Amino acid sequence: MNPLALSLILTTLLAGTLITMMSSHWLTAWMGLEMNMLTMIPILMKTTNPRSTEAATKYFMTQAMASMMLMMALTINLMYSGQWSITKMTNPVASNMALMALMTKLGSAPFHFWVPEVTQGVELTPGMILLTWQKLAPLSLLYQMATYTNTNLIYLSGLLSILIGGWGGLNQTQLRKILAYSSISHMGWMLIILPFNPTLTLLNLTIYIMLTLSIFMILTNTFTTSMSSLTLMWNKTPAMTIMLMTTLLSLGGLPPLSGFMPKWLMIHELTKNNSIIMPLTMAIMALLNMYFYMRLIYYSSLTILPSTNNMKMTWRFTNTKHTMTLPTLITLSNMLLPLTPMISMLE
Amino acid sequence: TLMLTSLIILTLPIITTLLQNNKTNCFLYITKTAVTYAFAISLISTLLFIQSNQEAYISNWHWMTIHTLKLSMSFKLDFFSLTFMPIALFITWSIMEFSLWYMHSDPHINRFFKYLLLFLITMLILVSANNLLQLFMGWEGVGIMSFLLISWWHGRTDANTAALQAMLYNRIGDMGFIMMMAWFTIHLNSWEFQQIFLTNPKNTTLPLLGLLLASAGKSAQFGLHPWLPSAMEGPTPVSALLHSSTMVMAGVFTLIRFYPLMENNLTIQTSTLCLGAITTLFTAICALTQNDIKKIIALSTSSQLGLMMVTIGINQPHLAFIHMCTHAFFKAMLFLSSGSIIHNLNNEQDIRKMGGLYKTMPITSTAIIIGSLALTGMPFLTGFYSKDPIIETANMSYINTWALLITLIAVSMTASYSTRIIFFALLGQPRYPSLTQVNENNPYLVNPIKRLILGSIFMGFLISMNTIPHTTPQMTMPPHLKFMALAVTLLGFTVATELNNMTHNLMFKQPSRMHTFSTMLGYYPTTTHRILPYLSLTMSQNLATTIMDSIWLEKMIPKNLTTMQKTAASLVSNQKGLMKLYFLSFLLSITLGLLIAL
Repeated sequence: MNPLALSLILTTLLAGTLITMMSSHWLTAWMGLEMNMLTMIPILMKTTNPRSTEAATKYFMTQAMASMMLMMALTINLMYSGQWSITKMTNPVASNMALMALMTKLGSAPFHFWVPEVTQGVELTPGMILLTWQKLAPLSLLYQMATYTNTNLIYLSGLLSILIGGWGGLNQTQLRKILAYSSISHMGWMLIILPFNPTLTLLNLTIYIMLTLSIFMILTNTFTTSMSSLTLMWNKTPAMTIMLMTTLLSLGGLPPLSGFMPKWLMIHELTKNNSIIMPLTMAIMALLNMYFYMRLIYYSSLTILPSTNNMKMTWRFTNTKHTMTLPTLITLSNMLLPLTPMISMLE
Repeated sequence: TLMLTSLIILTLPIITTLLQNNKTNCFLYITKTAVTYAFAISLISTLLFIQSNQEAYISNWHWMTIHTLKLSMSFKLDFFSLTFMPIALFITWSIMEFSLWYMHSDPHINRFFKYLLLFLITMLILVSANNLLQLFMGWEGVGIMSFLLISWWHGRTDANTAALQAMLYNRIGDMGFIMMMAWFTIHLNSWEFQQIFLTNPKNTTLPLLGLLLASAGKSAQFGLHPWLPSAMEGPTPVSALLHSSTMVMAGVFTLIRFYPLMENNLTIQTSTLCLGAITTLFTAICALTQNDIKKIIALSTSSQLGLMMVTIGINQPHLAFIHMCTHAFFKAMLFLSSGSIIHNLNNEQDIRKMGGLYKTMPITSTAIIIGSLALTGMPFLTGFYSKDPIIETANMSYINTWALLITLIAVSMTASYSTRIIFFALLGQPRYPSLTQVNENNPYLVNPIKRLILGSIFMGFLISMNTIPHTTPQMTMPPHLKFMALAVTLLGFTVATELNNMTHNLMFKQPSRMHTFSTMLGYYPTTTHRILPYLSLTMSQNLATTIMDSIWLEKMIPKNLTTMQKTAASLVSNQKGLMKLYFLSFLLSITLGLLIAL
């Protein structure tokens, strides 16, 4: 893409999210969300095949509808309370409608249908941006307004997300769809802890972003988008295969890797608040996620499938993709667990 | 002190068994004379008891103490045991002498005598036991000896299965016995009779039920009765000793022993009564059409046992005991005479193939006639002194009219089948092959039978005159009730005689339903012996393979889990790419969400 256009688009993307995160007036927040959506579309359509166009269209339509709902919620809020502050949406209709609109933007169940399709339709890098950067803005809004929403909706949506994220990913062979379902599931975890301790939401978000970025960048480096190409990774970059294995385990929440930290703290927080069945169910459902990560690990690093001798000597192309800070990210995503006491810094 | 001589009674036969392997020729005679002397000595103790009415119990050897339960070897010598012991010894003496003739061609006759002696010893342990443990030892002992003796001719499958049957039915009864022992240990902390009767616990239904089950098993009451007719596979001395006079008495004896507890528990009395009545009638019906002489006598034993149960059920344990003692005599004699008939007719047991023995075997036929008359309660023979008071008391007490009626019907049937035996075996023209030699001149055969004849005639009188009645007998009753027993007996006799006279030359085209019912022993063995094992085996097979292996180990978790997850996964990721559907779901979710939230 033309570098000038690309820089303009990326700047607008950045600006949009920052405007949303920094605003205290609903209108500016909404505006930031719209800017986000609009600049995301050319990013999604970077490659010009019809598949990407279709994905971009779907993305636009879903997000536009969500923004419309949000606008309606804001208007209702204005009608009943006469003010535009984000943290004081006392009318239940308004706050719940806004909650559901934001959940659609995030891609939680039962509004999750667009996530796998859009993620699959685009390349790995736009998909990466979709799954990581786009979560920041809506979650910051949720972080502020969640106190006045109906917690039953949040729990329902969260549990459903975890379930759907787990079961949906079991049936997939394409890596992008797998990562989409994993994003749905992590959104579920983040939503559930929101009424209890919003700081943990942010922590989960941070670690999730780190992990997802690492995985996407590993995949970009090795040009793998499906499970069958995963099996050939051992030959080209064995180091990165191992990194993929540990990062995937961390994404599944296995101690002593850093992906365990948010899950552990969340279960701790939930049991401190006397709810036992819900974290139990959540933890068991997270095993479904772990299963298909294990499947990926099995096929990439634990086994070598039978192949001819020709395939063992592949061409190694130089990588033109930008995968900056990958080593840092990988290290962070695997080793952060001992730094858990530093969470108090976030309080 | 002289009570200790009763102990010597027990030791004499024991010493004999210890010497068994040394002398092979004289072992039999030594055994027989040992039993004779034991009888004589026991008679002394009994006479002393009759004179002084002192009971005694001897407790000499402290075996062990388990926590608070003291187990020792103690003998209770009261009216019941002191009266029964000489009778048992007398009968065993007669039977041993008889088996010297009956089994003299058997190569293992020494072992036979050893078994008989062991049986006698265990029976005496049972009778004289003062605590439940000793009684149980005797109980199990007679069970084992019965098993060994029934399968004496172990090459014959029927004998083996009959022995197994006896063992199994006894075992079911033993469960009841053990339950009773457990109850007494838990609630009364003792197995000694004195303590049990002193404390007189209130809620004794459970242990007495166990006792009833045990007696039903040992004494072949209805439900646990098929083993007695099949036990006729054993040699005739065995049938005479075990299954007519002693072992099957063990059950009734134990019930009699517990009469202080049963006096207070009306439930148990009623159930004993009903069980006894059913047994009496059922076995009497079955005995009417049997063709094997030993089976008829066996079923007659079962019927008399039912009568004893009825007596216990109307709260007259002493009458039951007297009937037990007198019944021993004439039943043993009936068995011995049938043994003599069988051997003399060259092992022919079917009464349809006998006949005309009245003239050829006079002593035997005299014995049979006297025994049958005593059995049916002919006045002033033995059975009269026991059976008549039973019927009188039953008529005059507040019991089930139904049970009473049944008992009376069974009494008349007793007369009928006895007549049948006499008619077929003794009267008429001989129906056996003409070359069989009938010879009953052997003193070993004749002397026991003669002694038992004397006993059958006089013992009833002697016993009932020498016992102190523990309950006042009914002195006045309307004449039709007084004559009831006699009347039904005579009715049975005449009906049987007339019918047999009229029909003995006719033959069935096809036996009537009632006849088959009676001949097949009421179809009870046929059905239960197949259904019960089949049910339990299939149930256990189903449990083991289906429930355990297939469901719990395979299907429950692994297969179910995989199916569930696969269904869920395919359900969730089955998306068509149509946006309209997504929007529709969005609309629905929003509506539902707002409804939930509001």
